[in-house]
Amino acid sequence: MIPHYQLLSPTFGELVWDQHPTDELLGYQLAYLTYIQLNFSDTLEEARQGFTRISLVWKNPKNQQEFLAQLKDLKLPPMELSTTIWQVPVCYDPEYGQDQNSLAESKNLSLTELIQLHSEPLYRIHFFGFLPGFFYLNGLSPKLHIPRKSVPLLAVPPGSVAIGGSQTGIYPMQSPGGWHIIGRSPLTFFDSKQPIPVWAKPGEQIEFVPISAAQFQNWKEPYPKLLRK
Amino acid sequence: MSQLLGKAVLLRCPAGTSLQDEGRLAGAQFGIPTSGAMDQKSFQWANHILHNSSNAVALEMAQPGLRIQFDQACQIALAGAQVAVSLNQTPLSNSTLISIAAGDLLEIGAFLTGSRLYLCIQGGFQVERYLGSGSDFESVTSSSKRSTQEVLSYLAIPQSNSLGAKPKWETTWFESPEIEAYRGADWPLLSSAQQELIQSSIFHLSKYSNRMGIQLEELVPNQLEDLPTNPVFPGTVQLTPGGKIIVLMRDAGVTGGYPRILYLTEEGLSKLAQKRVGDPIRFQLMEITPAG
Repeated sequence: MIPHYQLLSPTFGELVWDQHPTDELLGYQLAYLTYIQLNFSDTLEEARQGFTRISLVWKNPKNQQEFLAQLKDLKLPPMELSTTIWQVPVCYDPEYGQDQNSLAESKNLSLTELIQLHSEPLYRIHFFGFLPGFFYLNGLSPKLHIPRKSVPLLAVPPGSVAIGGSQTGIYPMQSPGGWHIIGRSPLTFFDSKQPIPVWAKPGEQIEFVPISAAQFQNWKEPYPKLLRK
Repeated sequence: MSQLLGKAVLLRCPAGTSLQDEGRLAGAQFGIPTSGAMDQKSFQWANHILHNSSNAVALEMAQPGLRIQFDQACQIALAGAQVAVSLNQTPLSNSTLISIAAGDLLEIGAFLTGSRLYLCIQGGFQVERYLGSGSDFESVTSSSKRSTQEVLSYLAIPQSNSLGAKPKWETTWFESPEIEAYRGADWPLLSSAQQELIQSSIFHLSKYSNRMGIQLEELVPNQLEDLPTNPVFPGTVQLTPGGKIIVLMRDAGVTGGYPRILYLTEEGLSKLAQKRVGDPIRFQLMEITPAG
C-alpha cells in the first residue's frame, strides 16, 4: 500500500491510494500523515485526510520538490490502529428518527432489524469533515446502504444519527442535511469552548448503544463512555 | 502595561458583515472550515499598508450601509470593492487610508465595483482567537456574524504620520473574466469533451453564492458517480452528478464526495470573491512549472 503522489499545483499535491477505504488503508494513511507531520512541520502548511487520499499544502514550491525527492524511497509500515472504543448512546425512538419507517420499508426490514443492523457493528473513525466534529465512519452494513434523500431537510437537529449512501454519521450541530435520520444521541460532539473541540481521534472506534426515550431525556453526561483502552 | 482599547460601535450593520482574518488552518483536522477573508489579496494589502501583521482581524462587508463610530483615534484602511465612503457626512475622494479622530462617524455607501469590502484597522480588531484565528464561523466562534449596535474593540494608537504617502486602492485586477486554475485531482476522469467545454466556455455566477460556495449558472453534462469522500479546500471546483459547477469558498466543509475538477489559484480565488451574481468568468488553465 505505497501511495503515489499527484502533483496538483506548484505548492499542492495528494498522496493517492487506489484501494477502497479499509482499516488496513487507514493504518497506512495515519503512518504517512504522522511521518509527514513529524518530519516536514517546518515546510508543510496544511495536511487534510480523506478516505483514499491525503492532501498536502506546502509553503513554497521548493518544499514540495524536497518532499517528493524523499517520498521515492519512503516505504512506511502501517500504523497499528487504536483499540479505543467509544460507546455512543442512541435513542432509536421514532420521535427522534423521523426517516426510520421509510428506510425500513424501502430496505424490507422491521424496525428491530434496522436498529440491530445499525447498532451491532463497531465503526472506525477515518477523519472529520462536512461539519465541525462530523465523523466519517466506515463499517455500515450494506443492508442499510441507501441513496441520499432527493430533498434535503433544512434543519437536521443536533445529535441526529443518520444514513446516507454507504455512510452513517452523527450531526454535531443543526444543519441542512440529505441523510435519512434514524435516531438521536444526547452527547456533545463538538465544543469549541474546549481547546480540542472533539473527544475522539481518527483510528478509534465507535459503538452505538440503543437507549430508551426516557433515558435520552434524562441523559446528563455530555461525553461517551470509554469501553477499552 | 495594558494598552488603551478603543470602541467602535456598529450603528448600522448590513447583513453579511463578519470579522475575518487569514483563516483557521489548524481547524481542518476537526472538520472546521478554513474561513477567513473571501478576497485574501485585498485583505492582505489593506493590512500591509497599515503595517499590520498578516493575520490582523478585519471587518468584511458584502453590502453597503455600514455606519461605524470610533471613540478613539486610529488609522484604518479600506480595500476590496470600490465603494462610496463618507467621514462625518463628508464624501471622501480617496478612502484607502483614513485617519480617524475620536468620535468620527464613517459610512459606507454604494458598491461601485466588486462585492466584498475590507475595513482593516491598525493592530486589528481585538477578538478572542480560536485555533489561531479570529474569523467568525457559526458554532466555532461566539457569533457567526456581526449585528447593529454591536461594539468592537481596537487598539487606540495616537495619531502619527509614520504611514507615509497615501496609497490608492485599484480594482482593475479583478475586473477581467479570466480566473486562473490548476487541473483538479479528478480532472483525468472527465471526458475530453467535458474538459474542452470547461476550458472554453464562459460561465456566469448564479444567485446561489455565499461564503461557502459559488454555484455557476451553466451545466456541464456529467455521468460521473460520487467518489470516496476526500479533502477539499477554498478554491476547489466540484462537478455535481447533475452537472452543476460549484466553486468552494472560504466557509466550505473540509471534505467532499463530488469530483474535484479544478483548483483556483490564490489570485483566482480572490478575484472570484469580487464577482457579482450574473458576472461572466472563464477558467484559465495553468501549467505546473518546475520549481524555481
